[in-house]
Amino acid sequence: MEKNEFIKVEHVSRTFEEKEGPLKVLDDVSFSMEKGELTCLLGASGCGKSTLLRAIAGLDTGHEGTVTIGGKPVLKPEKTRGIVFQEHRLFPWLTVEQNVAFALNGVDKKEKKQLVQKYIDLVDLTGFEKTYPRNLSGGMAQRAGIARALVNQPETILLDEPFGALDAFTKIAMQEELKKIQKRSGVTTIVVTHDIEEAVFLADKIIILSARPGRIKRIVEVTLPEPRDRNSDEFTRIKRDIYGEFFE
Amino acid sequence: MHLPDKLKKLLSGLEYILLLVVILLIWTIMEKRGSLNTVIMPAPSKILETFVKLVRSGQLWNNLLVSLVRVLKGYLIAASLGIVLGILIGLFRHLNRLTDLLIQIIKPIPPIAWIPLVILWFGIGEEGKVFLIFLGGFFTILINVVDGIRQTDRKLIEVSRSMETPFLKHVALLVIPHSAPNIFTGLRVGLSSCWMCVVAAELVSSTTGLGYMIMNARQFGQTDVVIVGMLTIGVLGKVMDSLLKVVEKAVIRWV
Repeated sequence: MEKNEFIKVEHVSRTFEEKEGPLKVLDDVSFSMEKGELTCLLGASGCGKSTLLRAIAGLDTGHEGTVTIGGKPVLKPEKTRGIVFQEHRLFPWLTVEQNVAFALNGVDKKEKKQLVQKYIDLVDLTGFEKTYPRNLSGGMAQRAGIARALVNQPETILLDEPFGALDAFTKIAMQEELKKIQKRSGVTTIVVTHDIEEAVFLADKIIILSARPGRIKRIVEVTLPEPRDRNSDEFTRIKRDIYGEFFE
Repeated sequence: MHLPDKLKKLLSGLEYILLLVVILLIWTIMEKRGSLNTVIMPAPSKILETFVKLVRSGQLWNNLLVSLVRVLKGYLIAASLGIVLGILIGLFRHLNRLTDLLIQIIKPIPPIAWIPLVILWFGIGEEGKVFLIFLGGFFTILINVVDGIRQTDRKLIEVSRSMETPFLKHVALLVIPHSAPNIFTGLRVGLSSCWMCVVAAELVSSTTGLGYMIMNARQFGQTDVVIVGMLTIGVLGKVMDSLLKVVEKAVIRWV
């Protein structure tokens, strides 16, 4: 296996059968990712980026082409891939710690407790272990969702517009949090977003998708020094460059 | 105008019983003016008097207890079977298709229509009555449970799938809690159907129970006893429903 091919997406196309006829949302998408890399799938809404993420997750198998991770074809969801959805999707009847623990199967009680605590601490929810989701703010609920996706220590985590529903301040804090967590754990990460700044801040590589059907328009490698300064000239230059891809 | 909270509470409490009080008032006035045929519609005061008499003689309590035990027996069987089968049918698409038509056809048959068969099958003993009460609650509970299970949020199912959750854990921690509100609706509506069936069940040659008390009093033209029996069933049904509501609130703490 070549170093730069941990995740391989090859000629993935997806057509949905609608009442009005077939609707092609993804058209021959191919790219690859290194282990430990953070990639953003960037595109306007309706460009099929979430569909692409679902194909990589194994939640959608109706596509043409193949997705392989670590040399293994993706045919169904597996716990080696953690998923964070746009909505937190926590179980309302379970507390934060029970929600995080739900992801763990076949782990003995003591280890489970330690792991759950470790990831709750990691996402800064210490003290909220016994809280029910309805009493969490949007940002806290999303952090609990991230802890749940990480507690299995997956090789990959997939995030589908994870901060889309958050206010601007929380969003920036969460992006920094995610970046830190990702660097610390080295987990291979894909983030779907329609936010150009978010993509430039987070990604090692940005895959820009065109709208309907989604095709790869351009792949941008971001080599900004860490920690990234959103107000630096270089940051702004990359942002402007990508902006030009969407608005002529 | 801003009212103090205590007064507000009192007013809404009064509002809650207002209609009942007005009806009793009109009823009493009609009786005082002599515009009520007290043979077929006794006055509230007479009903109260009969109620006290029946309580003192122990007659009401004995009949009530017998009916209560019958209802509880039938209801417990209906609830346990309804929940277990409902979960299975809700979970497995094939089982659902296999049983759906039969359930849809049997469900609309009122328990009263079962009486001839029940007498032939069970004779005139306790079992037949319990069976009728069971019938009254079972389908309501079953259908609510099936609906609840089938409505499990697909987004949460995806979460569970993505973690390769074992089936039993998936059912116990996702499917059942998610449908708990529907299950409780079924349990509550089912309980009230069971209560409604107790009179029908006690038509099966009974010599005890509130249903018997009502039917027996009718033969002697004791409309006051009939109404006391009816109200007892009503009030008891309401009390049991309220109790179930308390249980529901205690179980579903997350909403």
